[in-house]
Amino acid sequence: MSVKTWKLQEVEEPNLIEDQFDYSLPPKIRFDGPIYEEIDGQIVKFDPGEAVARDLVITDTTFRDGQQARPPYTIEQQVKLYDMMGRLGGPNGVIRQTEFFLYTKNDREALEQCRALGHRYPEITSWIRADKGDFRLVKEIGVKETGLLTSCSDYHIFKKLKKDRKKTFEDYLEVVEAAWDAGIRPRCHLEDVTRADIEGFVLPFISEVMRRSEQVPPELHAKVRLCDTMGFGLSYPGACLPRSVPKLVYRMIHDAGVPHEYLEWHGHNDFHKVHINGATAWLYGCNSLNTTLFGFGERTGNPPLEGALFEYIALKGDLCGINTIVIEEIADYMRSIGVRIPPNYPFVGRDFNTTRAGIHAGGLRSDERIYNIFDTRTLLGRPPRVAITDKSGVDGIALWVNDFLELKGKEKLSVIKIHKIARWVMDQYETHHRLTAISDKELEDQIKTHLSDHYARHQEKQAAS
Amino acid sequence: MEREEIKERVYQVISQVLKTAPEGIQEAHTFTVDLGAESVQSIELMAGFEEEFDIEMDEDEALSVQTVGAAIDFIAKYVN
Repeated sequence: MSVKTWKLQEVEEPNLIEDQFDYSLPPKIRFDGPIYEEIDGQIVKFDPGEAVARDLVITDTTFRDGQQARPPYTIEQQVKLYDMMGRLGGPNGVIRQTEFFLYTKNDREALEQCRALGHRYPEITSWIRADKGDFRLVKEIGVKETGLLTSCSDYHIFKKLKKDRKKTFEDYLEVVEAAWDAGIRPRCHLEDVTRADIEGFVLPFISEVMRRSEQVPPELHAKVRLCDTMGFGLSYPGACLPRSVPKLVYRMIHDAGVPHEYLEWHGHNDFHKVHINGATAWLYGCNSLNTTLFGFGERTGNPPLEGALFEYIALKGDLCGINTIVIEEIADYMRSIGVRIPPNYPFVGRDFNTTRAGIHAGGLRSDERIYNIFDTRTLLGRPPRVAITDKSGVDGIALWVNDFLELKGKEKLSVIKIHKIARWVMDQYETHHRLTAISDKELEDQIKTHLSDHYARHQEKQAAS
Repeated sequence: MEREEIKERVYQVISQVLKTAPEGIQEAHTFTVDLGAESVQSIELMAGFEEEFDIEMDEDEALSVQTVGAAIDFIAKYVN
């Protein structure tokens, strides 16, 4: 094999690859060619450009799967979260739908109060078992679309439902017909699909649902949600069914006849793959990705809604009306009602863009882009932070001080000017053998002591604003 | 200001910050390797020079000064 010779290319200006790393947005996801997968002995070509041009949407299950993982939200909390979700998704309805349980009075009251807000998006749908009797609830509450739990693996059919495939097939179709009789669009939730016999049960069932959908008005056409209930899904090229996300999506579209706009992915994070599996489903043909706020959901959780939003922006190359700053508002609200978000959680954790290493702080001082993923200040209201320990170095301390005093450009204090604060910090560890990080309050006190003029000016500015 | 006067005062600052006797300091000494200045001490030295000579130094230029002799020449530029 001959190895190409690579010649160093000297440049006058640094190559910051800004066509992908536009700091004002999450880095753009660009593709430089099609994707090929071998499916049933055929080479199938997927065009990522075509995928990105589709009407990709995010749906939400915070009030359903999200609530299965925690104590129930109060009605007021659900209304507040729903309202913020509406603002977050923007006027184009990127967060297109949400779903509610209907079994308790509180469930129904929450739905009613959310609906009373009058938001177009997210559209309100429901979730019920595949039980004809449950349609009474759906009709009474007046939603136009409902999820139906149509578990599809033999684990569920034989061992949970205690049926066989034929009985299950017939029972599910009966429920789908009942939905149509009630004037409601059914959304078949294929629970445990990544462990199901795709050709033996899933394709026969879904292709029959699609065939019957041709007999009903378009607004009642059945939808299909692929539920990777145990997180077994795999995004890897060449992976086998039933775990292959690309092959599952492809088979639904090409072999069962499900249109892109009626196909949705729902995942779980048992193997840390939840976000990438969801994005993969988008790329291979699902228009909808079902998510929850901050990934809270059954067991290890669901695709995180905020993760999906940034993936969406990165794929589309545009904000598309999404109001990203509301993500932090929702996170703050969640924390205020006692929800714990791990400090290192992407985008919203307390420390998601906090650096402790002095060498990283030095980089941040030179150019924020070096150690910050995108303009988090503008997109999330969260400028990059340094946490001060003995590892922060003088650069870290200077960064913290200038950030606190809101000094920019030439106004910024040099490391020389903050030397007394730096000495105090180092003495905490070297002389007093401290083991903990320095708190914001302690650093503020040091600024008050050693940079009293700057502190006073900052306080006046704060009071005036 | 004469170079000798600058030198004497620079040595005083170094002695105070690094807790080393002025007699042990040479112009060829590097602050970090020979005199053992750590990160915070390096900026304390620069702050000490600013205070001693009532000057304001450019941070990047100041921190790139490696030796005692270079510091004396650097400060001389500011005071003269």
